[in-house]
Amino acid sequence: MIISILIVIIITAIFALQFKDLLNAVIALAAFSLLLSLIFYLLHAPDVAIAEAAVGAGVTTTLFVVVISKTKRY
Amino acid sequence: MKKEDRSEIVSITSRKLVPYILLFGLYLISYGHLSPGGGFQGGVVLGSGIILLSLSRGIFLTEKKFSSPKITFLEAFMITIFILLGIIGLIAGKSFLGNIFPLKKAGEIPTAGFIFLLNLVIGLKVGAGIILIFYSLCERQEE
Repeated sequence: MIISILIVIIITAIFALQFKDLLNAVIALAAFSLLLSLIFYLLHAPDVAIAEAAVGAGVTTTLFVVVISKTKRY
Repeated sequence: MKKEDRSEIVSITSRKLVPYILLFGLYLISYGHLSPGGGFQGGVVLGSGIILLSLSRGIFLTEKKFSSPKITFLEAFMITIFILLGIIGLIAGKSFLGNIFPLKKAGEIPTAGFIFLLNLVIGLKVGAGIILIFYSLCERQEE
């Protein structure tokens, strides 16, 4: 279970690095964060899992999307 | 963000979701000493609830209700309250942040003495900080 989630986490991290479109990269980073919080929960650290899900998947994604919406595409 | 670039689905869904997210943040703060969660996590959830509100209603309407000087004052006021609570413990003859309230049976909300108050203060401070980060990113730059 944990091994397969870790493999998916590595795949999403590679996606987040390789995407040319920044919005796709941010979504991949949010998926990375959500799966990481699932790993924390499975490893009996629900406290860290809540913090990771709230900060990583929620606030950081919103801030990145706001910043991207202020840039222009050339 | 203008009104036209927001889709109706995002606007209505986030508007309906905001009270439940704020309630979950308050739950995380007030049960922080009994179950997973606590001041920081609950504060982040509160802040993201307000951010979601500004995604649904627009940043200007949100900033009219939760204005930036008010939020700044809240953050500074809360850290002052935190330090004052610590000094109250010192005055009572215990260590810094020492508890002066009587402890009750575990399992209820007002059982841990100072911990509930400290969680509340830290939660409001963290939420105010996250809202401030969002506001300062959303500021329109004058050309």
